[in-house]
Amino acid sequence: MLKNKPFFIPLRYFLFIFLPLGWGFTAFTQNLSDTLKLPEFEVKSGYISGNQGFKREKFDSLLLLKHPEANLSDILSKNSLIFIKSYGNGSLASPSFRGTTAQHTQVEWNGINLNSPMLGQIDLSQIPVSQFDEIEILYGATGISRTSGAFGGVINLTTQPDWNKRLKIKLSQTIGSFDTYTTNLSVLAGNQSFQSQTKGEYSTSLNDFLYYNDYLKSNVRQQNASFLQAGLTQELFWKIKDHHLISGKFWYNFSDRNLPPTVTDYDLDHQEKQKEEALRAVLEYKYVDRKYNLMVKTCLVDEWMNYRLDSTIDNTHQYYSWINRVRFSWFGIKNLTIKPGIDFTRDWVRSDAYDGIKTRNTTSLFAEFNWNISHKLSSSLVIRQEVIDDKFLPIIPALGVEYQPVTNVDWKITFNAARNYRYPTLNDLYWSITGNPDLKPENNYSLEFGTLWNHRSKNGKFSVEPSLSGYYTWIYDMITWSPVEGSSLWKPENIDEVRARGIETGLDLHVEQWGILMDWTSRYAFTRSTYEKAGSEYDNKIGKQLIYVPVHNLNSALTLEKWRFFIQYNFSYISARYTGKDNLSMMPGYTLSDILAGKNFNYRDIVLSLQGEIDNLFNLDYQSVTNRPMPGINYRLTLKITFDKPSGK
Amino acid sequence: MSLVTHLSRFLILLSCIFLISCSKDPIREITVDPYDTTTKPAEYGKGVFVINEGNYNWGNASVTFVDYTTGIATQNIFTKENGRNLGDVAQSMKIINGKGYIVVNNSYIIEIVDIQTFKSIQTIKGFPSPRHIGVINSKKAYVSNLKKGISILNLVTNEITGTILIEGWTENLVLCDKFMFVTCIGEYREPSSKRHQWIAVLDTESDQVVDTLPCGKEPIGMVMDKNNKIWVLCSGGYDFYERPSLMRINPSNRAIEEVIPFQASQRVPGKLTINTAGDTLYFLNGGIFRMPIQSETIPANPWIPSNGRLLYGLSVHPVNRTVFVSDALDYVQNGVVYQYDPNGVLIRQFTVGRIPGSFCFTPLTQ
Repeated sequence: MLKNKPFFIPLRYFLFIFLPLGWGFTAFTQNLSDTLKLPEFEVKSGYISGNQGFKREKFDSLLLLKHPEANLSDILSKNSLIFIKSYGNGSLASPSFRGTTAQHTQVEWNGINLNSPMLGQIDLSQIPVSQFDEIEILYGATGISRTSGAFGGVINLTTQPDWNKRLKIKLSQTIGSFDTYTTNLSVLAGNQSFQSQTKGEYSTSLNDFLYYNDYLKSNVRQQNASFLQAGLTQELFWKIKDHHLISGKFWYNFSDRNLPPTVTDYDLDHQEKQKEEALRAVLEYKYVDRKYNLMVKTCLVDEWMNYRLDSTIDNTHQYYSWINRVRFSWFGIKNLTIKPGIDFTRDWVRSDAYDGIKTRNTTSLFAEFNWNISHKLSSSLVIRQEVIDDKFLPIIPALGVEYQPVTNVDWKITFNAARNYRYPTLNDLYWSITGNPDLKPENNYSLEFGTLWNHRSKNGKFSVEPSLSGYYTWIYDMITWSPVEGSSLWKPENIDEVRARGIETGLDLHVEQWGILMDWTSRYAFTRSTYEKAGSEYDNKIGKQLIYVPVHNLNSALTLEKWRFFIQYNFSYISARYTGKDNLSMMPGYTLSDILAGKNFNYRDIVLSLQGEIDNLFNLDYQSVTNRPMPGINYRLTLKITFDKPSGK
Repeated sequence: MSLVTHLSRFLILLSCIFLISCSKDPIREITVDPYDTTTKPAEYGKGVFVINEGNYNWGNASVTFVDYTTGIATQNIFTKENGRNLGDVAQSMKIINGKGYIVVNNSYIIEIVDIQTFKSIQTIKGFPSPRHIGVINSKKAYVSNLKKGISILNLVTNEITGTILIEGWTENLVLCDKFMFVTCIGEYREPSSKRHQWIAVLDTESDQVVDTLPCGKEPIGMVMDKNNKIWVLCSGGYDFYERPSLMRINPSNRAIEEVIPFQASQRVPGKLTINTAGDTLYFLNGGIFRMPIQSETIPANPWIPSNGRLLYGLSVHPVNRTVFVSDALDYVQNGVVYQYDPNGVLIRQFTVGRIPGSFCFTPLTQ
């Protein structure tokens, strides 16, 4: 059992070997002359274009800059239509996207799948946003161009080099309520052919907020909820003659947190903690030419997790994933792009919950065709075939069509249809005693219609972008863990059938008037996601909404900016979430408001920013998940110093 | 739709929600059962209290009251009477000295209620995850615990006066003369293979363990029959470790008189109970099994089959001998209770709360 161990274990410590290397390189390249100016070089990542007829959305990168202390759960719950089920500040946060479960949302970082092969999902509270630059959301079947199984969609986190940067140092310190401190440091250095980015974050919180305990009928402090989180990212980008790009990215993340008890737990000795360590490393080569592109990527993921409860449970889980991707894009035929690709992933898991080491090999053959039929009509077809441990799974196709009815008006009508499936997780298959090796993959069919209009005034001072989309998705053979009679065990089975349909609307408005910049973005989702199959004749769940999936979800942010001063008001509304499959109990809906204001002071190459934030402005006493208290009104103050020396200065 | 109407609708919606946002009601789980009468019953007279465990860590344990005369099931009576929830995982309820003692396992408490009004009288805290109450006399009781030892409870002051140290999980308690027989299952977090199980015999005067008896894996049920013999149901382990068995003990000489093995199957039997006459055993094993105490073998077929239900709680009415059995469905919706007459004919069924696990019959029963 330990045979493989010596090879794998030191993996996450390799980072510290590479780090000084990065520093050395940057010091060296600093001395190179940058008089040789290369034209702006944009490397298309093979398939960033395309996806005609599919919905994808990129977040404003300024959003992440405003929240250096946030984690992915905070950002998505305030700015996207993905509902985040949060067990409390710093505790488990899992996504529900388009009425699906957490396992149907895939999170990727630079092409690495972050969802655990064991659980099939990821805790969004463990992803600090300071470690990447951009968030892109791929809705529903759009994700098939990336991976299978993401019925809800894919959240893609990426980093982009800025070839114009010479040296940029950013240091920020956030102080928040409940003894929360976050320090961020990033160093970006390089020239037009070499860039190094180093980002570090260290965050601690006592997290002992006051809440009203209904059982004790008094205000009490949250117990055992403190956390520590640290992250370090090193990225190197090297460009040769505008054709070759080599990059290496390493991300190490550490978290040590106490898990708070529920409000009804009167056991004073409650001790529950979870420690996680993760290293993700990517090595990538891209070749870009007029007629074709090539991308080769190899990644390693090493994750370790330890969970302790009192003195009775002490479980360790460890997994490694080796992910390889090859993508080719060929623009040889007029109006047609062909992008074949192959992925190979090997997962290796050692867990106290499994009997021995478990592995999985996934090979995925993939091709995308983008065809611009006319200047008004274009389409894309994705075909994916996966082979998992020598088992051929059905072919999954996704077809999208995009129509632009009026020339010179940026108005698009899109339609797509797809089939998808999700293979059982390693826990589903191999969990000790109840793991079910006979599970079939989950099946999914989906249809989507969308329209988007973007209008921008000629001077760029006014723009408006309304959007509307509707989808219908049907999942059957859905894997659900259900209780085993007479035993305290739970067993996964292909029992549920779910129909999810919904409407998503958005409205983005940008106005510049009297020197004031106004941005207003709003999103609203209507989600009906229902159980369609009963477990027994007494089952009362047919036609009922999935638990913890709100029917209405709205968020809106208004930002005003003048004299380097900005003020932002965030508003979100989450309707009731049912807590029983029979829909006879629920958590009522709630609205939350946050306010954020900041000012920048510039002095030569230095920018000093001061920013204050009030969360839960109206001090709402709420729980997102039953029995898990959330903090009332709380405050944050961030001081940021940026030294920025772009090239050409 | 023109842009202006689109915009203005958005604004209207936004301002509506903004107004809602100013309401200050705390956001807590509520029930929205249209069949649940919001009015409380006139009295908790002739009927049965159904103890709904609720989901682990969800804090949604509840009590349903079924009135025999009206046939109405009233949900959540503890919350309705006391303005707060009962807690997390309600394990069992017993009526002692005219008061209701509700053991709330994962809240580590016993809640004492007035059984006429169901108002809380007192909350006893400090149990290491309590399971069941074994009454010794009107002044003293033992409480079994999931985590450690037996708690000694003074029934007059309702205080924990001490602990009898027994490692691991203690479950059922049966009194015979001055000795309390206790099933000990072992460390509850361990798999069956690592658990050490036995039956402890406690002297209720000295509060000492005076004897231990061996038994099969996971002794999860224990009752006493009309001949003063103790029956122990050993489930074989929640993870199907070994073949389950029924064991008969003579408490006077502490001899194991008989061990009846089950047929090998991938099932975990449980909820051993006995009728008032003390001549028929009942338990769940994929259906309701009924077995006379003279029987030498486990019946091959259930008395009442489960028919796809997830049978979870079982009790025999002390007077009219009807059988109450609950279906917990998939644990994530309200359960159903079925009442059968002594011939196995369904009398009625009613919806109760989440994961109905046990029953407590009112003294005014029948």
